[in-house]
Amino acid sequence: MTNRSDGGRQLPILQRSIRYHRPRAPFCGVGYCTNCLVRTDQRLNVRACREGFPTRGVRATSHAWPSPQHDLLGVLDLLFPRGIDTLRGFRRPAWAVPAYQRIVRRLAGYDNPDSVASPPSSGPPRTRSVDVLVIGYGTSGAAAVDELKARGIDAIAVLDRNGAEGDGTMPGRTTAVFLPPPTRNAPYPFRVLASEGSERAVLVSARKVIVAAGGYDASLLFPGNDRPGVMTADGAFSFERDGIEPFLRAVVFGGGDRARKVVEKLGDRVVAVVAPGEVGPDLARAASDRGIPLYPRSLVLGARGRSRVRSIRIRARSFGPRQTLGADALVLAHRRIPHPQLFFQAGARMVWRPRVGAYLPAVDAHGATTVPGLYAVGSAAGAVDLDSSRASGRAAARAVAEGAEPGVDVTRSSPPEPPNEMQGYYRELLAEPEGFAKWIACPCEDVLLRELRRANEDGYRGIEVIKRYTGLGTGLCQGRYCVPDAVLLLSIWEGRSPPEVGYITQRPPVVPTTLGQLATLETPLSDPEAP
Amino acid sequence: MSAPTRSEYRTVIVGAGVIGLYTAYYLARAGAGPILVVDRGFLSSGASGRNGGGVRQQWETRATVRLARESVGAYRRFARDFGVNPWFRQSGYVFLAENGAELERLRRVHDIVASEGLPSEILDSSRVARLVPGIAPEAAVGGTYLSTDGTLYPFPVVWGLYEAVRAMGTEVLLGAEALGVRSTDGHLTGVATTKGTVATSTCVNAAGGWSRDFSERAGLTVANAPTRHEILATEPLKPFLDPMVVRARDGLYFSQTMRGEIVGGLSPPSQNPATSAMSSSPAFLARMAGALVRILPSLASVGVLRAWSGLYDDTPDGLPVLGEDSHLGGFIHANGFGGHGMMLAPSSTARVARMILGERVDLDPDEFGPQRFDGGQPSHATEALQLG
Repeated sequence: MTNRSDGGRQLPILQRSIRYHRPRAPFCGVGYCTNCLVRTDQRLNVRACREGFPTRGVRATSHAWPSPQHDLLGVLDLLFPRGIDTLRGFRRPAWAVPAYQRIVRRLAGYDNPDSVASPPSSGPPRTRSVDVLVIGYGTSGAAAVDELKARGIDAIAVLDRNGAEGDGTMPGRTTAVFLPPPTRNAPYPFRVLASEGSERAVLVSARKVIVAAGGYDASLLFPGNDRPGVMTADGAFSFERDGIEPFLRAVVFGGGDRARKVVEKLGDRVVAVVAPGEVGPDLARAASDRGIPLYPRSLVLGARGRSRVRSIRIRARSFGPRQTLGADALVLAHRRIPHPQLFFQAGARMVWRPRVGAYLPAVDAHGATTVPGLYAVGSAAGAVDLDSSRASGRAAARAVAEGAEPGVDVTRSSPPEPPNEMQGYYRELLAEPEGFAKWIACPCEDVLLRELRRANEDGYRGIEVIKRYTGLGTGLCQGRYCVPDAVLLLSIWEGRSPPEVGYITQRPPVVPTTLGQLATLETPLSDPEAP
Repeated sequence: MSAPTRSEYRTVIVGAGVIGLYTAYYLARAGAGPILVVDRGFLSSGASGRNGGGVRQQWETRATVRLARESVGAYRRFARDFGVNPWFRQSGYVFLAENGAELERLRRVHDIVASEGLPSEILDSSRVARLVPGIAPEAAVGGTYLSTDGTLYPFPVVWGLYEAVRAMGTEVLLGAEALGVRSTDGHLTGVATTKGTVATSTCVNAAGGWSRDFSERAGLTVANAPTRHEILATEPLKPFLDPMVVRARDGLYFSQTMRGEIVGGLSPPSQNPATSAMSSSPAFLARMAGALVRILPSLASVGVLRAWSGLYDDTPDGLPVLGEDSHLGGFIHANGFGGHGMMLAPSSTARVARMILGERVDLDPDEFGPQRFDGGQPSHATEALQLG
């Protein structure tokens, strides 16, 4: 691997955070977070990472003045070190309330629809009916498609968010955004809404659906966790691929295979591996081959730097010594969460899996969920490596082809698992003095950890109530990067298990889909058979 | 709290939404405790946490205009009274007319509203265009506007009430479902819940979309019909739209919140029975998107962030049911708000509380009383402005 420190583009600052105007650099790299919003001539709030960081034809959103790099409104961050209390503040004096409302309203929001020169014209509706719809064309999805074809099933459609193409794939990047529960006894029980590129919407009717949507890397809570340079492993790989130099000296956080992959791909620029627990033998070997120091069983105490991470502070667990690691990035590779949205929407029974720290659908040996005709394969079905992913894809395809009607034995309880590793991690981290830096519990909406803590102290319980009380999880990432950690924190504070804390309803669409796109499906969806 | 702390309460309220909590608030303030509020879900899990936040005073019936006007006053004071800020913003409601007949109907509404002393205005198409920037020219021939109507965030209203009633000693038991009532000689003696049975002589049915269920569990026949309505929110945008916009024909309504999101819905094409859970449908997303893009074409480039649904507790005449049931003494109805509980709560629950305290109220029982449906078709005027 070549070190492109002389030629690569720097990680750009394309956004400011919504409340405190903190600088934001690309974080997730897969089009979910709020950190790289730009606008094009046709669309507001496009994620630059999904377009390969184009240098022309896009503008920064207007939510910064004069520019995201130098935003004078960043003073809000300094003026309100302990946060702005919109829930209890701005009430007095009565005569000033209208002025507060005007100012706050002016500061809110990313862009104005008028700033788009030519909204896309709505074309004819795109609809398609197939026997089997496969959502996701990664390892398990491709294995399922191959197996279906080998068994003579041709009516297959594939929706792939990353544009991976195989026979039968829908052109372009097509994201399934809404999978409602099937209509029983209809010829095509499933009607799946998908967004194609950023212009068109597609309605796919299917007899069976195999979801192979994969997963994403979780975020991490610590003071300054939204600083430019903090990114997921997904992000590091995607920025590298698009010619953005993600970092020169990174600390990788994670102790398993995901962290090993980062070390193997980008190891010449990794200065340390910090793991919340023990370090797996493969990762240990990969690190020692490259002379990278390991810090197992360690907490990330904070990131220093404002417009770019300059150092990462860590501490060995159980009150070990503190250290500062000079680095311009922290790559999060500690926890990978299978996408749960489509399963929740379809009404599949979901089970909290402590080891993964996420909800997975209850499945049988073929990947059949509790929803007849809906199958889960790959990481959502518990696959942990490429071989088991391929096997799960083939098993579901065989069950679909053979018309087997397998059932999930929901009465069978899964073997007990120890609590998620991050629960104990956060318990220890929260015992640290709070300090001055902001902990951003919900990066999209700039909700602070202290707001969550206060909601708990005020007697509000459960993630659904905390979401409504603080606004956590209501931003553009649909709760992907805040809810998994918030559930663990609430579970600590409320003294109950994560399933008792609950999970937020996975509302459609899975990714923001424009009104123009959705409007193209008005006629096909007015069909009375529509779910 | 996992169970009631007492065996007997002066009043038990079923439903910890805005109606139930506001009723508890007035009762507790009058010293009429002990009060127990039970709710099957979590705070804000029902319609009080699922509505579009509109608070308007433009109605077809005079009594509703008066109730709404009083509610606007209460919401203006809410942040100061309760210490929690719902960001009540009086930026007006625009009702759109697409043709002369609709404008004529809105003119009659305007006459009623104006005669109650509210600054209602008739709009021509150019004023509509100024109040709703970017509106398609063919979308409206005119309309009405009331600048003192407004919008708020529903959640803080619930938090503020919850904290206030608890501070006054009211018990709020969440995750407790009311299973039925106990009665002797046609008079209520207790309420059974999943967390135990308690004795009481007064029970308020403020269960919103579940009020019909609870009335039936109490052995009563009611005219309420819960229906499912859907709503969506877009990505946050810079402010460009001040008023709530409502169209009579299809019940389309939308506004831009303090956070910048466009939030709105429209009436279902046919009655959506509440049997299906509170879920969204692709058909709504497409219909709503089509309606919004036709009325404000520039919204085509705006992303929908999420959609959800909630239950309207509809009545045949579009008016709420307020008062004691004539077949079961001590069973008080505070329901049937038809999607307007948030906007009418402060004033209507004040009257419910006064009824419970045995005081006289200024509500015509033929218009609001539960017995008005007993003899078939009610004789009074109906409230047909069942929108937004």
